[in-house]
Amino acid sequence: MTLPWLLSWQTWPHPVVCPTCWQTFERITPATACISCGRQLTRRQMCSDCQRWPSQPRFYNQALFCYNAAMHDYFQRYKFQGDYRLRAVFAAAMQQRLATLAADCVVAIPVTPATMQYRGFNQVTGWLGTGLNDPVGLQTIAQTKARPQSQKTRAERLTTSQPFSLSSTFTVTNQRVVIVDDIYTTGRTIRHAADLLLESGAKSVIGLTLAR
Amino acid sequence: MQAEELYGRQLCLTPAEAREMPATTVKLPSMQVTKTLIQCCRCGSDLNRQLAQLPAAQFYCYQCLTLGRVSTLTSLYHIPEPNKFKADTTLTWTGQLTAAQATCAAELQQHFSKREQHLLWAVTGAGKTEMLFPGIAWALAQGWRVALASPRVDVCLELYPRLQAAFAHLPIALLHGHNPAPYQYCQLTICTTHQLLRFRAAFDVLIIDEVDAFPFAANPRLAYAVKQARKPESALLYLTATPSQALLKQVRHRTLSISYLPLRFHQHLLPPIRVSLQPRWWAQFQQGHLPTKLRRWLQQYVTVHQRFLIFVPRITQLAVVQQVIATAFPTLKGLTVHAADAQRLEKVQAMRTQQVQYLVTTTILERGVTFPGIDVIVLGADDAVFSTAALVQIAGRAGRSAQRPTGLVRMVVSHYTRPLKAAQRQIKQVNRKGRRLRAKMSTLSATTEV
Repeated sequence: MTLPWLLSWQTWPHPVVCPTCWQTFERITPATACISCGRQLTRRQMCSDCQRWPSQPRFYNQALFCYNAAMHDYFQRYKFQGDYRLRAVFAAAMQQRLATLAADCVVAIPVTPATMQYRGFNQVTGWLGTGLNDPVGLQTIAQTKARPQSQKTRAERLTTSQPFSLSSTFTVTNQRVVIVDDIYTTGRTIRHAADLLLESGAKSVIGLTLAR
Repeated sequence: MQAEELYGRQLCLTPAEAREMPATTVKLPSMQVTKTLIQCCRCGSDLNRQLAQLPAAQFYCYQCLTLGRVSTLTSLYHIPEPNKFKADTTLTWTGQLTAAQATCAAELQQHFSKREQHLLWAVTGAGKTEMLFPGIAWALAQGWRVALASPRVDVCLELYPRLQAAFAHLPIALLHGHNPAPYQYCQLTICTTHQLLRFRAAFDVLIIDEVDAFPFAANPRLAYAVKQARKPESALLYLTATPSQALLKQVRHRTLSISYLPLRFHQHLLPPIRVSLQPRWWAQFQQGHLPTKLRRWLQQYVTVHQRFLIFVPRITQLAVVQQVIATAFPTLKGLTVHAADAQRLEKVQAMRTQQVQYLVTTTILERGVTFPGIDVIVLGADDAVFSTAALVQIAGRAGRSAQRPTGLVRMVVSHYTRPLKAAQRQIKQVNRKGRRLRAKMSTLSATTEV
């Protein structure tokens, strides 16, 4: 709290989550995170998982929080139980980080129409704004997901084929694009999206995920 | 989906999930949305428009989420209860009811047959479950669907084996949030009150055990669930040892009939609450000292191997209290239990099988559990978490076996509080009535013997 802030007569921002619960989420410190996927390490270097990926100098990912038990519970309730109110927990954190990335273009990972039909919202755009899939930008090729990524093993996830296409009216030529997703696990999904954008002429792609 | 799964139920499904439904299925709207009101049709909550909002002008219910989300994207699917049962409903229980219990049991059965609302107020340890058996057996024989619901999962888990033993040939469904087994269509259902939200006009007899317990008492959705789950023409029975003022008011206004049993099954009175004023008990524990009086009591328990429960108001106090006791009496074996404890059921089981001599616990063990022949100590009984009902229930944990029908109930407080005084008064009052009943019964049996 500062004097200029006091004199600005803004309303006191009420915390969405109580301090005790907020402490159960572990923030990742960028100074000691993996340079490629944003995972929390002891010093800034490339983690063993990223060394197994073919090198892609025009893409890297940033993550805000470690995927721990608290984050697991959060996604269980927000995404799978469908408690849309919980978007407020991380909306501010995501929007703040997104603002610092100074992107020319922001793309959210879409959900399939079938998921939209029963979940009723896109968990990523829930944090950023409307809660709907972006009208232009990335699109899912499949109408439904046969099996969600979260139920597959690492090997199965890595062999997944490109699930996205770009809408025809969408151009990213020579732009700095930020792709936003919820969780970076193996990196398969977000790297598919990044490949697609780079192929269509993007200058560089930064991934931003809530959890790693 | 099998038709049986929907008999008397209301399941919330998306159009995609509901593609192959039996022909008799009724599709009901899951939410009522008007300009001024958004209401969930499963739990009946009035919802805040802003909180219930989904994108694209859709809405969801944030009150009954844990049972699967109800939203404007889904509908409720239901098949009216056909009462298609052919299981063997014979009562295989061979125990004997006391004269007072038998009177109550007969009253219950009568109210079942007239499909009325009724309250059974019986003191802790009066044998409420056994009194239900004749009534339930009668209702099952009529081909009626019967449910026994309780707000506490521990209570359900304790009821299930007892009822399964009493109706050995009847399949019984046990429904609660931690049960992974799939739903089964059974004539007799034991469930938590939350599970009732999944039923619609299903039960001819609905029994709510521990009706004054959390969360049922404080949750209007669960009262709505009870209304929805029973048939329009059906019997509803409330069971409790500590009825709330609201229930007693209904009794006074003659909108609810009542059966009253002030005597335990072994004909002994309730142990009275002994209060011990120790203003600094918690400060002493924090410094690692065991209060002198408590040390004396525990010393006694160590020498005679008496088992006991210690209640504390807060979860954070559990470890401290147990640590101090363990240091003072290294030979005394005990555990701590609270609601969020992952090993809660195992620990309670360890106390039942006498592997440990004591448990330090919060109010979760205040009701529905029986450890025969224990003593009870409540630390900080003046805390606001201990309501009158909670204190009476806790006192009722002692002296529940015929071998040791008395027990000591001690409460350590820094000062007297209204709920504590009221609890003492209530026990005294019940005991006065119990004594009168006992005198009447002894003269009765004396005259019949002559």
